Amino acid sequence: MPASSSPRPVAYLDHGATSWPKPEQVVHAVTRALTELGGNPGRGAYAMALAASRAIFESRRTCAELLGVPDSRDLIFQPSCTAGCNLMLKGTLKPGDRVVVGSMEHNAVARPLEHLARTGVEVVVVQGDRTGLVDPDDVEREVRAAPTRAVVCQHASNLTGTIQLIGDLADIAHEHGALMLVDGAQGAGHVDVDIRVLGIDAYATSGHKGMLGPQGVGLLYLSPDLDVQTQVQGGTGGGGSESPDMPIERPDRYEAGTANTPGILGLGAGAAFLITEGARQHRREAELARQLIEGISTIPGFRVLGPPAGAPRVPIVSAVHDRVDADRIAFALDRTYGIAARAGLHCAPWAHRTIGTVDCGAIRLGIGWGNTGEHIDLALRALRDIVSS
Amino acid sequence: MSGRPLRSFAVLGFATTHTALAAEQLLKDLGVPVTPIPAPTSIGGALCGIALRLDPGDVERAETLLERAELPVAARGEIEDV
Repeated sequence: MPASSSPRPVAYLDHGATSWPKPEQVVHAVTRALTELGGNPGRGAYAMALAASRAIFESRRTCAELLGVPDSRDLIFQPSCTAGCNLMLKGTLKPGDRVVVGSMEHNAVARPLEHLARTGVEVVVVQGDRTGLVDPDDVEREVRAAPTRAVVCQHASNLTGTIQLIGDLADIAHEHGALMLVDGAQGAGHVDVDIRVLGIDAYATSGHKGMLGPQGVGLLYLSPDLDVQTQVQGGTGGGGSESPDMPIERPDRYEAGTANTPGILGLGAGAAFLITEGARQHRREAELARQLIEGISTIPGFRVLGPPAGAPRVPIVSAVHDRVDADRIAFALDRTYGIAARAGLHCAPWAHRTIGTVDCGAIRLGIGWGNTGEHIDLALRALRDIVSS
Repeated sequence: MSGRPLRSFAVLGFATTHTALAAEQLLKDLGVPVTPIPAPTSIGGALCGIALRLDPGDVERAETLLERAELPVAARGEIEDV
């Protein structure tokens, strides 16, 4: 039973929303930023500001190493993955452009595209299948149909855990002269990301989900040749301060305003942790996801969404029950069992519409660092109890 | 002040703090002593971040190394300091 006075869950299974707990290194890095590195990075040459600048420099390099980004200057710190998606989309698409996008997108992509559609961007949505997979052949058919500026697709679904074939989609996009833009919120940290291999033009990701950093920070990779219009203008602390325009040099071009030093250092620590522990962590997450899917599948009335057990996925497991609403399940999991999980539409109405759950939502259990087999066993016992009572 | 005689130093300025720090690390790793300083307005480039101070005799080698590493120098100058 959960402790009555503490909000700390007995089992945290909402890693699709944000990771918790954080590795000790992340906590230490954030604490160090707040206690020792309080100067404004890039805004002075006194010792504490310089130390903060160096720490951010190292965090950027560590994140670049994890993601296979050849030049860390092409890796931009953002307030969130959503901010990165907005920059990547609004900075590259203009009225008259045509964009082909998968139907499993989160609102971080769907809403900016809906906004751009009202400005004259043609948005063509390619339907995913019932497991959430967007078929590259369907994308190619649409890209062939008319000149296309960009193909946009998530790396993995925050609803079904489905891993999209973004490498294949990038090949298709480039073959037809289009850009490949990826929302990697649920990808980086849960699956290997090697920008050099994927060959994509832009990849936005969250800093606080699979990357294990604190909330309030995200990353955006932009390929060196990609011309992205700035969406935020302001001080950068570097050169050309007298110019009315943002500098052309990265990362400053896209990083106006004081940097989130605690967030960035925490993110860098998360990336460093993943460089050494990531492979083992991915295997563990996959095994726990398989255990959870197989277990839920044995509970009468439940239907697990997305790819079948054992198929590649990020460790997100969503399900619907034929009699008990998802919100009631989430409430009971929390109040009775101390299990943190999320019901509803998960800010992904497109995805729910794609797989036929937009009217009922789903209960989502997101696995990540810190989860154990005991957590999965507890969740399975709780789910069985809830729907049988 | 120390009363020590003033010395001439070369100063290299960079467009971004990131490039300045990458340059600092590269040069130190390759045995070129540099010191980060507040970018002097006298070297131009409207810099308000950091610049690298180094011995004038090291400038040519430093610039060669930086060019090879694609770390462009945005401004150059000299200062006198202790």
